[in-house]
Amino acid sequence: MRKPWSSIRQSWRTFWGAHRTLKRALYPLVWLPTGIVFTELFYTVKSVNGRSMQPTLNPDTSPWRDLVVFDRLSIRTLRRYERGDVVALASPLDSKLLVKRVVALEGDTVKTLPPYPDAEVRVPVGHAWVEGDEYFHSEDSNTFGPVPLALIDSKLVWIVWPQHRFGPLLVPSEPDPRLPRGPSWRVEKAAADKARWRNSRVTVVQQKPSSSEDLSTRVV
Amino acid sequence: MFGTRFVNAAKAFVRLSRDNPDEALKSVTRAAKASALGTLYLVNAVCAAHLFAEHIGWINLVDGPSMLPTMADSGEYILENKMIRPKDIKRGDLVTYLSPLDPSRIVCKRVIGLPGDIICVDPTGELAPSTEHVVIPRNHVWLSGDNAVMSRDSRVYGPVSMALIKGRMVARVWPPSKITVFRSNFDYID
Repeated sequence: MRKPWSSIRQSWRTFWGAHRTLKRALYPLVWLPTGIVFTELFYTVKSVNGRSMQPTLNPDTSPWRDLVVFDRLSIRTLRRYERGDVVALASPLDSKLLVKRVVALEGDTVKTLPPYPDAEVRVPVGHAWVEGDEYFHSEDSNTFGPVPLALIDSKLVWIVWPQHRFGPLLVPSEPDPRLPRGPSWRVEKAAADKARWRNSRVTVVQQKPSSSEDLSTRVV
Repeated sequence: MFGTRFVNAAKAFVRLSRDNPDEALKSVTRAAKASALGTLYLVNAVCAAHLFAEHIGWINLVDGPSMLPTMADSGEYILENKMIRPKDIKRGDLVTYLSPLDPSRIVCKRVIGLPGDIICVDPTGELAPSTEHVVIPRNHVWLSGDNAVMSRDSRVYGPVSMALIKGRMVARVWPPSKITVFRSNFDYID
């Protein structure tokens, strides 16, 4: 009786023995699963579209779209959500990926912006309030309300391109008042003012609502 | 049998290292390289299995009383299809999604309403007045556990975005006496 497996193995070996160059070219594909899992669980590079995060991302002066590194590890595995983080999230209204800033987390009270119907909103358990830095160019929580944390996909950590802004994403800080007040000074000042105004609209809750205790019951 | 083979190999190695130390060192390097590559292949295989489970489908253990009597409290394995387009979801499907209350939790519920439907929030009047109705917004669905009393679902957190939906429950595969293919149990009444 012929052994089907050994004959298949034999012809497989003769094929790759006859096509050495093809084998060498295709061999790296064997490692594709590891690569994909790395981008899904750790870090990934993406380009950012649109102007809702100006001037932090895609400033008007830039002819390119920003190329940035997103950190999935601290969101998906470690579940570290911080106010002020720039995050990528799936839009609840059409599932497309958005880039926004986390303004408030569960329990916080936010003074909303138009078009949100209520003047103030308390962010429910397991949710976050996200806004674009240019809220008037942005479809964000002021349109669709607080978003579940589970929609947040990753956190922006590093700008790769354009080259002159290469580096980690900086937290906006007040510029030195003694420096000459040129265009870049004014941009920095505007960013710091905007951050202060954004934070002033949020009443941060000191102690997290007792959600963990609630959820540990077996009712799911 | 494995033990004696191992002992023989060790003896052979001792002999080789006494007679020809260079050759022995080479064989150690070769073995180390081979086992390192083997480990990498193993990691790669685990990654491939992870990708399969995440994007194509897998068999999962379900637990919790919220889907009684469709699914038991514990000990049932369900085949899950992850290759779904949220737009193809129908009323009556069993879907898995990330909990809007806790992002690290995956829960399973039944789809009751699709975008545009008008839904009575809670007909029993327990969690909301029984007269309260809502229109489901675009790209959202209304989800409900089969065991309403023991379920935390859209009555608590409202319509759920389709972006949270991860998969659809296809069939129960274990225990063998209860093998079932889940079909839509949704009927229109005139």
